[in-house]
Amino acid sequence: MTVLFSFLKKYRVAAFLALGMMLVELALELLQPFLISKIIDDGVTQKDISTVLLWGGILTGGTIIAFFAGIFGSFYAAHASQGLGYDLREAVYNKVQSFSYALFNRFSSSSLITRLTNDITQLQDMVFMGLRFMLRMPLLVVGSSVMALLVNVKLGLLLVVGIPILLFFVIIIMRKASGLFQQVQRRLDTVNSVMQENLTGMRLIRVFVRKNHERQRFEERSSNLMQGTVSALRLTETTMPFILLITNASIIAVLWYGHLDIIVGQASVGEVVAIINYAMRTMGALSAFSMIVASFSRAKASAERIQEVMFTVEDERPLDNQDQYVAGSSSVSASQSSDVYEVGVAFRQVSFHYPGTEAQVLKNIDFTARAGVTTAIMGSTGSGKSSLVQLILRLYDSDQGEIDVLDRRIQELDDHQLRGLIGYVPQEIVLFTGSIRENIAWGYEHATLEEIQEAARIAQIHDTIMNLPHGYDTLLGQRGVNLSGGQKQRISIARALVRRPAILLLDDSTSALDVRTESLLLDALRELSCTTLLITQKISSTIRADQVLLLSDGQLIAQGDHTHLLATSELYQQIYASQFGKEELEHVESVN
Amino acid sequence: MWKALTDPLRYPKPAVMTEAIANKSAKVEPVPSKKRRAKDWKGTLARIWGYLAERKLKLMLVLFMVLLTSALTLLGPYLIGIAIDDFLARDAGQMWVWFLVGLAVVYILNSVTSWLQNIWMIEIAQETVYRMRVDLFSHLHQLPIPFFGKRQQGELMSRVTNDIENVSSTLNSSAIQIFSSVLTLIGTLVVMLWLSPLLTLITFLVVPLMALGMRWITKRTGPLYRERQKNLGDLNGYIEETLSGEKIIKAFAQEQRVIGEFGERNDRIRLSGFWAQTISGFIPKLMNGLNNLSFGLIAGVGGILAIKGMITVGVIVIFVEYARQFTRPLNDLANQWNTLLSAIAGAERVFEILDESVEAEDEQHAVHVDHIEGAVVFDDVSFAYDTGDGDNTLQHISFTAEPGEMIALVGPTGAGKTTLIQLISRFYNADQGKITIDGRDIQSIKRESLRSHTAFVLQDSFLFEGTVMDNIRYGRLDATDAEVQDAARLANAHSFIERLPEGYNHRLNRDGGGISQGQRQLINIARALLADPSILVLDEATSSIDTVTEIKIQEGLQRLMEGRTSFVIAHRLNTIRAADQILVLRDGQILEKGSHDQLLDTGGFYSDLFYSQLHSSDARQA
Repeated sequence: MTVLFSFLKKYRVAAFLALGMMLVELALELLQPFLISKIIDDGVTQKDISTVLLWGGILTGGTIIAFFAGIFGSFYAAHASQGLGYDLREAVYNKVQSFSYALFNRFSSSSLITRLTNDITQLQDMVFMGLRFMLRMPLLVVGSSVMALLVNVKLGLLLVVGIPILLFFVIIIMRKASGLFQQVQRRLDTVNSVMQENLTGMRLIRVFVRKNHERQRFEERSSNLMQGTVSALRLTETTMPFILLITNASIIAVLWYGHLDIIVGQASVGEVVAIINYAMRTMGALSAFSMIVASFSRAKASAERIQEVMFTVEDERPLDNQDQYVAGSSSVSASQSSDVYEVGVAFRQVSFHYPGTEAQVLKNIDFTARAGVTTAIMGSTGSGKSSLVQLILRLYDSDQGEIDVLDRRIQELDDHQLRGLIGYVPQEIVLFTGSIRENIAWGYEHATLEEIQEAARIAQIHDTIMNLPHGYDTLLGQRGVNLSGGQKQRISIARALVRRPAILLLDDSTSALDVRTESLLLDALRELSCTTLLITQKISSTIRADQVLLLSDGQLIAQGDHTHLLATSELYQQIYASQFGKEELEHVESVN
Repeated sequence: MWKALTDPLRYPKPAVMTEAIANKSAKVEPVPSKKRRAKDWKGTLARIWGYLAERKLKLMLVLFMVLLTSALTLLGPYLIGIAIDDFLARDAGQMWVWFLVGLAVVYILNSVTSWLQNIWMIEIAQETVYRMRVDLFSHLHQLPIPFFGKRQQGELMSRVTNDIENVSSTLNSSAIQIFSSVLTLIGTLVVMLWLSPLLTLITFLVVPLMALGMRWITKRTGPLYRERQKNLGDLNGYIEETLSGEKIIKAFAQEQRVIGEFGERNDRIRLSGFWAQTISGFIPKLMNGLNNLSFGLIAGVGGILAIKGMITVGVIVIFVEYARQFTRPLNDLANQWNTLLSAIAGAERVFEILDESVEAEDEQHAVHVDHIEGAVVFDDVSFAYDTGDGDNTLQHISFTAEPGEMIALVGPTGAGKTTLIQLISRFYNADQGKITIDGRDIQSIKRESLRSHTAFVLQDSFLFEGTVMDNIRYGRLDATDAEVQDAARLANAHSFIERLPEGYNHRLNRDGGGISQGQRQLINIARALLADPSILVLDEATSSIDTVTEIKIQEGLQRLMEGRTSFVIAHRLNTIRAADQILVLRDGQILEKGSHDQLLDTGGFYSDLFYSQLHSSDARQA
């Protein structure tokens, strides 16, 4: 809950005002039974109409004041709670965005989504209720007790004596319930994750006709959620009858002893009536109690889940320069030409394993790509090609060795500067909801339409886009479904190019392109002066590269240009044969 | 300080609210949308009721308990009134003791019945929510595939979670509150009239004011709640999308940008949330205020009446208590009405999805087939996506695939290859022409039956959270471990799986858990092979796999696919040399058709493509 209070601080003025307004209302409300007993004892019993009118008038005036206090309180309470929700969402989202990629992957996205929406909403609602109802309840209880004691000490005590028992009971319930609600939220996560998985994999599920299988899985998890919720709520619901019993017992006691006292003249009828009135008010206030216990326990559970994200600390990164994280610095160095540099990308004895696993994905990788040259990376499935590229982006940090980018150690640059220099096209295509133009401009916010079109032209997608009904303003649906795989690939290439990167990383980004389009693209890329690293499976791509790195099992087993590798590397020959047939290979060999 | 004081009073008014107010002034012409909306509410409520009613017996029990509770709740203050008038100031001896015992019994019963009603209602409510959730989930599985192209995934998710949660929390308490409020209201009214018609009338003076106030408030809160849920859905969609694309965001260093865009959505939700909460917060204040007003009136007028000897002090006490009891259910109703509005806003969004029409029902005469030979015929098939631009994606496609043949689809990106195979899976129906399998129109075969005899490896490889074993077994749920491993061997996935930290029990997560894209494809292929289909479709299933492995897979496939039909989309022409037929597609039309050798002999588009691949190597060497 600490996180809650630290965020609430900002809204303390509004919160206190809301509370203040509530106190005004409460005070006036507490006076009522007292005023009524005045009307009975001083007015009715004395047969004095003017006294009745006086107190009646005060009662009415107070009501109007309380009403307006309530209306203003509503504004302040809503401001505090909505503001808090806003700030929390922002803070958690910012925090998530500040995670390193490795750390980010520790949380499942469905769980992060639940935390950002559902959990924060729980907290927000609790704060609103707290400022409006919840605090009112204990205050009303305390106030009623005090007033009851003032009216008649002995009878009042009968009312007060039950309260510690109630408190004790409630605290125990709350403790247990909060644990149960935490479980509920976790189960909500699992429901959400099945949902998310199903939405993403809908096509696959359809073609395998696994609807019932999935439904079963979903039912199982939903039913767990249901049972969890029921048992948590059932627990908080037990507070209610208990409270009723205790307060009702004190009412009976008040009647019994009040009766005795009236007989001996130690109490008046008005006093007994007032105390019973206070007892009933206490009960009325407490009637909302099970709801409050539920929402408080729930909020506590949610607060802990939010804290889990907020308090996650980044593992220390080697030689880090992260603190100079400056907003918007990405565009500053984005258009540097690589002519000035000597080294484009260099790896020296780099080894790497993914966090949380043991197997080394890259072992002692050592190569240099001069600035401006094109390097193709080839290797069997799972040989570490993508991992190598991701190290350049510092999506992960290497275990050993040094990586240089444009004559500098990558650790010397902060993430923003480093990534500002790079255009990256991932293997898995990710496009965002919005127009094609927005998606390409995503690479560089301030890109003009000309720049966007230029990038699209290089990526060989301009003509296709122009043929679409709305050209560059054509909207892409969720994950850009209305385009073919190859078209999406080229848009994501254009997105990288619009940054005018000094280094271009293409992770198997031409796999869905036909040979023609691919060769046009590669030729166009050669025109650019950037250092290009190109992961590919196709010999047709490696032929055009200045050098080829051949990876196998995380090791760099051969490097050189196409001709060199074809002459010397057995693996490369195998790959060649797989694409052009054995005859072709023999032909080539005989030529050599 | 001043700013902090006045800021909360300065929120701009959201458009939905001003519109709602404007509607009122434009009274002359009744706004049709408003009418429809009101009807929708009723419809939505009726549907929620429909869910609740499925547990009739329990619901009856709850109703009965509510009835008892309400009666007992009324009885309590009445008995206290009697106590004050008849016993308190008098020595009634034994009677008094019995009276108190009676009171105690009433109180205990009251505790028990109210507990039972709540417990049971919670169960009903949660079961209802559970069923709504499952219904929504099942319904999503029946929606046509194009539906998902148009929706943001996170926004859909928000409906299953946030909107349903909203319904859930309301049902837990509100349903009971509403019943008991109405009952208590009626009961109190009867007793009050019986005790003193005049005081009852005074108590009633405030009711029109209440009605007016409520009208003013709900007119605004209804649209605001709807807006809030919509904004929440948008936000959810945005979060989902950006978290899925986190790698790109990081790689492009666009964190600040998404934070900014997130902020805009966050802002919208704060605005609608603020007004919904503020205005709905007026309700209890209004009720309380009017409540207290009637309180004062009763005390004043009652006092005068008592002085005149027309009523007793006891009646005043009872009335004060009843006036509270009378307004409390009204107050509760008002409060519940409000949460109800927010729940309705949620439920509406759930039902909106449930009302989406499902994938066209299988034709009436559609049959279940036990076995498929695999003869696939396209007869003059044309098809266009429903994008409204009128461009046909496929035009007059005709070909015949004999059982056991391997058909390769080749062509530039966007030529319609994936679209063609999606027609075989019946994600879409052909607009024109006919597709037959074993001579039977595929529209006369039940979708599920058709799909269970075909296996697809889709372009986007997809893995579920779970072990490698589970993921492959997805192809055939009753497969043994050994069969799974065989399929993996055939897909050339076995060796890399063996090397994973926990082998086949290695858990895959969102990021693949150290699995490369190519390896994901291998697992996807293994999954399809395990399904043991009559027709196998590979849509660029090996695009991320190195060509050496690819050839090995092809060899394995050829053995496996003897006597079965397969469709392969590929860009690396070498891998499809062995195909019985190659269909060359361009701009949605079949340009050429024939075997590799035939097509090379003809010297058309295909041979150009093929030689350009070869030449690309020769060119550089020369």
